[in-house]
Amino acid sequence: MKIITPKKVFTISIFLGLLLILVILVSITLGSVNVPPFRSIRILFQSILGLKGGGSDTERTIILSLRLPRAILAGLVGAGLSVSGATFQALLRNPLADPYILGVSSGAAVGAIIALLLGLGTFSFGLPLASFLGALLTILVVFYFGRQDRKIHPHTLLLAGVITGSFLSALIMFFISVSRREELHTILFWLMGDFSFSNARAILIIFPYILLGVVLLYLRSRHLNLILSGEENAIQLGVDVEKLKLISYLSASLITAASVSACGLIGFVGLIIPHSVRLIFGPDHRLLIPSAALLGASFLIASDTLARTLLAPVELPVGVITAAFGGPFFIYLLKTRKGIKTL
Amino acid sequence: MKNLPTKFPPLAPALGTSSLTLLFFLVLSFSISYSAERTLIDEVKREVTFPFPPKRIVSLAPNITEILFSLGLDEEIVGVSIHCTFPEKANTKVRIGSYIRLDFEKIISLNPDLIIATGAGNTRDMVDRLGELGFSTYVIYPKNFSDILKNIAHIGQVVNREKEAKGIIEGLRKRSERVIELTKDLPRPKVFIQIGETPMVTVGKGSFADDLIRLAGGENIAGKEKEVYPRFGMEEILKRSPEVIMISSMNPKGDYQKVFQEWTRWKTLPAVKNGRVHMIDSDLIDRPSPRIIEGLEEFARILHPETFKK
Repeated sequence: MKIITPKKVFTISIFLGLLLILVILVSITLGSVNVPPFRSIRILFQSILGLKGGGSDTERTIILSLRLPRAILAGLVGAGLSVSGATFQALLRNPLADPYILGVSSGAAVGAIIALLLGLGTFSFGLPLASFLGALLTILVVFYFGRQDRKIHPHTLLLAGVITGSFLSALIMFFISVSRREELHTILFWLMGDFSFSNARAILIIFPYILLGVVLLYLRSRHLNLILSGEENAIQLGVDVEKLKLISYLSASLITAASVSACGLIGFVGLIIPHSVRLIFGPDHRLLIPSAALLGASFLIASDTLARTLLAPVELPVGVITAAFGGPFFIYLLKTRKGIKTL
Repeated sequence: MKNLPTKFPPLAPALGTSSLTLLFFLVLSFSISYSAERTLIDEVKREVTFPFPPKRIVSLAPNITEILFSLGLDEEIVGVSIHCTFPEKANTKVRIGSYIRLDFEKIISLNPDLIIATGAGNTRDMVDRLGELGFSTYVIYPKNFSDILKNIAHIGQVVNREKEAKGIIEGLRKRSERVIELTKDLPRPKVFIQIGETPMVTVGKGSFADDLIRLAGGENIAGKEKEVYPRFGMEEILKRSPEVIMISSMNPKGDYQKVFQEWTRWKTLPAVKNGRVHMIDSDLIDRPSPRIIEGLEEFARILHPETFKK
């Protein structure tokens, strides 16, 4: 295994951070309305400096109220989902794990449906709150059923999560087929993932959860490495394994809950970004977590930019892009880098 | 930010209509300082303030586009949804996305002074988002045939074409009353409307087509279903034995033969036995626009051919 030094983590993070900034800049210059690239960037920097101007009112609104919040939200969600996916893969010791595997997303959707049925749902307010509560409740239920003798067993947790998720999905389908309220069908679009309602409020709401989750997981990254080499090993090396599993489960789930409630389900990011990063930089969590966060952010921003520009004025669900471009790229990595152990 | 009050000559269009409107306008213009804005309550009880009369209108749904064109606002319409394909002229307008996913950038770039949306199709989130971006959105919400007349009246009022709106409504009312009058004492055949092939979906209570069947002197076999678009199994259709079957299609000339062939398997159905399986253009029966009257008359001709023979 390659040796990971803080300096290496720092260098790679700086590099990926620059990539992220570049992706954000490109993303705000692209859209169905043509705003010249330099003017777009000028508008952005002028507003960062607290100045008005740099373009017409229309252009300012397009850049600052649509494209920028959208890029930031997509970046946060991409970072969150990638870190959450990496954590679930380690925690459950299962390469197929993704942020939605333990039913958090289905719980969020049921919460959203209940909000719609009670008539308090809009994408901008009631619905995110209700879906967040639904997700939290699911996290607790799965945690309760997934434990035996006050210990988390990866396989029991996985089963409990998958089964709770299936049960909740059945509930979603049931509500959608029996309800005569047409609003419920909007749930289907929400389930496909949608960034078009991004605004500053959504960003401020999910930012603390994602930041907290990612930082907590990063601080435990050395222990996450140890747990992968076997729980007994980790215990012998002085790791409080149960506490570690509890913290990683809760942090990863909270990140997922926050991002689902902000923009619905976005598949694939949480699965392929961690694996790609492992293939490129190796499986050490001290490097994996920050690089997955930065690369995941860039990837989702780029995907969302494609989703809204490819067939403009029609917007594609972003999940279509993440799967269509991420899938082949991942297969390519798998084929060319097969020497590296992924988990 | 989006209001451009100075662009519009205040009061000019209202002068000379009647003293009452003049008075109304005088009061209005003093209260909001000559900006020639107007505040109305829309069909979902929201207060909407916009420059009056609006000069740059964006329509978010096909029925709204059709109503706006029928009121002669060819110039004022600046953007329409990708579903707006009628009349022909709608195809020359800028597309602002679909029902479910608006292209907010396009809308901002059009700088509209009024957006018209429908509660049946567009979501509250879209309207909220447009509000956040600084746009006024008037929402209509048609639920049945008579609501369409109301929609036309309201849109007429909003865009300052009340006289034209009145004319259209009068015409629609006359034609629909004729259908109702001629069919009201006739026996009411049982009707099944097929709007989806797999799964078989029909129209229940609260849909426009259901309302049209009733007005055209028929009885919808799914008319008591609570769902607007209920799914129906073949067994249920056989049990309720419709006397007339109508296949609603986006493309009436399309695969008529294939869908028709499917029905000929069920020879015990009165509709199939008596050769009363028909195609109908879906735009005429599920789009709450002035053209719905053609759908109503078509229904009447299919349900009561002897009365409506031309």
